[in-house]
Amino acid sequence: MSSGEALLELGDRALASLSHGEAEVIISETRSELTRFAGNEIHQSVAERFRHVRVRLIDAGRTGVGEVRGHDDHAITLAFAAAEDSRRVTAESEVSPLPRPTPGDGDTPVAFAEATADATPQSRAELVSIVTDEAAAHRVNAYGALSTTTTTTAVVTSAGLRRSATATQASLVSVARGDDGGGYASRHSADIDALDVPALAAEVVDTCERNQGATAIGPGDYEVILSPYAVTDLLEHLSWGGFSALAVQEHRSFMRFGEKLMSDMITIRDDARTPEIFPFPFDDEGVSTRPVTLIDRGVCAAVVYDTPTALHDEVASTGHSLPQPNTWGPLPRHVAMDAGETPWRDMAGSVSRGLYITRFWYVRDVHPLRTVITGMTREGTFLIENGSITRPVKDLRFTQSIVEALASVVQVSRERRLELGEGESGVLSPWLHIGRFSFTS
Amino acid sequence: MRDLSERALDAASAAGASYADCRIINSTVQRLTVKNGVVASVEVFEDEGIGIRVIAGGAWGFAGVDDLSPASIEETARHAVSIAKASSRVNRIPVRLAPAPALVGEFRTPVVRDPFEVSLDDKVDLLMRTDEAMSHLAQIRVRECSLEFGREIKHFASSDGARLDQIIIESGGGLDATATSDDEVQTRSFPNSFGRHQVRAGWEAIEAFDLPGNAGRIAEEAVALLTAAECPAGTMTVILDATQAALQVHESCGHPTELDRVLGHEAAYAGTSFLTPDLLGTFRYGSEQVTMTADSTRAPGLGTFGWDDEGVAAQRSVLVDRGLFTGYLSSRETAEAIGQVSNGCMRADGWGRLPIIRMTNINLEPGTSSLEEMIATTDHGVYLETNRSWSIDDRRLNFQFGTQNGWEIVDGKRVRLVRNPIYSGQTPEFWGSCDAVAGPAEWQMFGVVNCGKGQPSQLMHVGHGAAPCRFRNVRVEPAR
Repeated sequence: MSSGEALLELGDRALASLSHGEAEVIISETRSELTRFAGNEIHQSVAERFRHVRVRLIDAGRTGVGEVRGHDDHAITLAFAAAEDSRRVTAESEVSPLPRPTPGDGDTPVAFAEATADATPQSRAELVSIVTDEAAAHRVNAYGALSTTTTTTAVVTSAGLRRSATATQASLVSVARGDDGGGYASRHSADIDALDVPALAAEVVDTCERNQGATAIGPGDYEVILSPYAVTDLLEHLSWGGFSALAVQEHRSFMRFGEKLMSDMITIRDDARTPEIFPFPFDDEGVSTRPVTLIDRGVCAAVVYDTPTALHDEVASTGHSLPQPNTWGPLPRHVAMDAGETPWRDMAGSVSRGLYITRFWYVRDVHPLRTVITGMTREGTFLIENGSITRPVKDLRFTQSIVEALASVVQVSRERRLELGEGESGVLSPWLHIGRFSFTS
Repeated sequence: MRDLSERALDAASAAGASYADCRIINSTVQRLTVKNGVVASVEVFEDEGIGIRVIAGGAWGFAGVDDLSPASIEETARHAVSIAKASSRVNRIPVRLAPAPALVGEFRTPVVRDPFEVSLDDKVDLLMRTDEAMSHLAQIRVRECSLEFGREIKHFASSDGARLDQIIIESGGGLDATATSDDEVQTRSFPNSFGRHQVRAGWEAIEAFDLPGNAGRIAEEAVALLTAAECPAGTMTVILDATQAALQVHESCGHPTELDRVLGHEAAYAGTSFLTPDLLGTFRYGSEQVTMTADSTRAPGLGTFGWDDEGVAAQRSVLVDRGLFTGYLSSRETAEAIGQVSNGCMRADGWGRLPIIRMTNINLEPGTSSLEEMIATTDHGVYLETNRSWSIDDRRLNFQFGTQNGWEIVDGKRVRLVRNPIYSGQTPEFWGSCDAVAGPAEWQMFGVVNCGKGQPSQLMHVGHGAAPCRFRNVRVEPAR
C-alpha cells in the first residue's frame, strides 16, 4: 500500500495540472480482508484492495465531481475529466468554498496498529478457531466474521490544505446458536492483538447457553436494562436524524437547544480523539474534527457542522463533513455516551420486573422528528424478576421514542463497550437502566 | 478482458485451485441531484477491477483488485488460493457444487435509448423542471429530485469452460417533497421512496415516470399530510399500493427464501429463515391468491440478466404456488446441500465482493381484482401508499411497516387522508389473509436499490413486480 505522503504527492501532481478554478482531490487506498464462519466452519474468506480517487472542481460558481476506483495514474485523469463534465452542466449557484488549513491541524492521534495491517488469512483463521473451538466444546455452533482493514486517506486542495492519515480497524462479531436460542458478542479495536477473543468466545457461548428454551411474554411497557450493543442503536439513530446541523436547518431534528429533553444522567459527545473509537484527525473536507458535546446532562447542547451548514449559521465547521457536495449534511462518527457510576452487573438488582436486552435488530425510523424507532430484540432477551435475571424470553418488537426512553433513565453503568452501528461507525456506549420501554408485539 | 481472465484462471490453477472463476467488471454510474432549486451534485463514478474465486483444499477463497496489470492479476489469484488453503486447515467439510453446464454467450439489457447518450444538460433540465413544479407551496421546506444511470460491462470465465459477456444498463429517478410545521414533518415521494425508482432499461423509462408532471401533486399531498388526521387504530382491512406490496414481498418472501440464510450462512448478520427445508412443498405460506416467483428473465426488473455471477442462466422458478411454499433462491453450493441444482441467484456487489445468494426479480404474480374493486368491497379499512419505514425480525416472521400516507375507507369509499400509518403482523398469517390481488393492468415492476446483506456488506439492486393487494384483519395504528 502507498504511504500517506505518497498519496499527497499524487494529489499535488494532479493539482499541478489545474488551469483554472479550485479543486479538491481525495485519494484513499484500502486493503480489506475478512474471514467469515458459520456452523463452526470458515465458509467465506475474502480480500479486496483498491484505490479511490474523488475530484471536486469549482469554477465560475459551478461544482462538479468525478470519482474513479482504479489503481493507475490514468484514474486521476479520468476523475478530473468526469468532474469537469459534471461542473460544466451545473447551474451557477452559491458554492461552498474549499476550507483553508487552520493552526493545530495534525494534532489528533490516528488509530493504527501494525499487527492489524499485517494480519494474514492464517492469523485470522487461528483467531476464529478460538471461537469455533469454544462453541464446539459447548455443543453449540458459532457464526460470525473477523475483518481487518487498513486505509490510507489523503486530502489535497488548491486552497493549500494537505492532510493524510493511515488507520486500521479489526472487528470480530459472533453469534452462537444452540437448538433453541442464540447469543451475541463483538469486539472492535484498531489493534487486532488487543481483541480479547477468548473473552468474546466465553461471552457469546454463555449468552447462548442461558438463552435456550425461551418462553413468550406479552407486549407492553417494561423496565429494561439495555446492553451497550442495544444502546448503540439508539445513539446511532439520534446521530442520523438529530445531531446534524442540516437536520436542524431543515426542521427535521428533535434538537431544541437549551431545553432539557433527557435525564440529567445523559451526556452524549462526539470526540474523534477518543482512544477506543478509532481516532481520526479530519473529515472528508480535510477539516480537523473538533469535539462537540451534543447532549449535556440531558440538555440539547449542540450539533455538528460541515462547511455548507456552518456558512448558513455563520459559525465554523466542526469537521464532520461527508464528501462534498452532498444532500445529507454532516454526521458525527465518534459518538460516546458518558459513563455513570453503577457497575453493570449490579444494575438488575433494583429491578423488580423487567427485561435485559442483549441487542436490537433491524431498527428503523418510524417518525424521525419524534425519534420514534421500531425494531426487534435478538439473541439474548431475559426476564428480570426481583433483582435477578431469571429466564430467557422470546424476542419482542419495540416501538419507542428514543428521547422519551433517555428521559426515563434510572442508572448508567460505569463500564462502556465499543460497538459498530449499522452505519459501521464506532459508538461507545454504557449499559442503561431505563424506566419504561414500549414493546408492541 | 478474455486474456486477463485466462491469466487469472491459469494462475489460480497453477497455485493449486481445483476450481476457479473470475469476473472482470467495468462500471460507470452517473448521478444528478437537484435540491431546493440548485443543482446539488452531478457526479460520475468509474470503476474497474477483477474478482477471483477459487476452491483449494476443499475451501473457498476470494480476492479482488483494481489493478488489472498481468502481474497484479496473477498475484491476486495466488492470494485467493492462499486464503482458501488457510480456511481448509480449520474446515472439516469440503465444498461441493451442484452440476451446472459451462455456458458461452452474450447478453445486453434491451434499451430504446441509451441513457449515457442523453446529454447531461437534458438531464439537468428535467430535474430543474421537476423542482420548479414543487416550489409553489410555502410549507415545502425541502425539495429534492435525482436521476441515476448505471452501465456495467462484465466478463465471467470459469475453469469449467464458461465464458460469458454482459452489458447491463440501469435508469432511475425520483423526487421527494418534505413539508414541515411547528410540530410535524411529512415527506411524499414519487414514483417510490428512498430516492428513486430504478429499472434495467434506457432513458425511455425516465420519460415514462413523468417526474415534472407528478411533482406538483406530490408536493400538495405532503402539505395535506401536515394537517391530516392520525391513522385510526384497530384490526381492519388493509389495501397496499403496488410499491408497498413490492417491499412486503421483498422482506417477507424474498429474504426468507434465500437458501444460504436457511442453511445458516447468514446467521451472524442478516439472520436465518422460518422457511426450513422440511417445509418445502407442504407449508401453507399464504392464501390461494398468493403466487410468488423468482424470474431473472423478466424485463425491466433490477434482477434481470443473462447469467448470474457463477455462470448459471437466468430463469423463472416458483417460490409460492397458490399459497404453497415450493422453492428457494439458490446457488450451486447451497442447492447441492438439499439435492437440487442452482436456480441462478448468485450476485455480487461489484468485482471486489464475493457472489452470495441475492434476490433476482421476486414477483407477486397478478390476480384478477382491481384497486377500484378492492376499495368498493371494503367496509372499513385503510389504503396505504409508499413505504416510509420497514422492519422485520431475523427469521422474517414479525414485521412492522409504515407508509407515507393512508386513506381511510368506509363503506366502499375513500373518506379521508390519514397520516403516520403503521401496520404489523406475522408473515404466514398476513399472506394467508390476502383475499385479492389486482390484475395485470395494475401490475408493475419496481426496484429496491439498497438491499443489504453479507459480510463485508454488499448492496444489491433487486426487482419486484407487484400489484395492489388486500389483506383482512390486520393490526393498524398511528406512529406515536
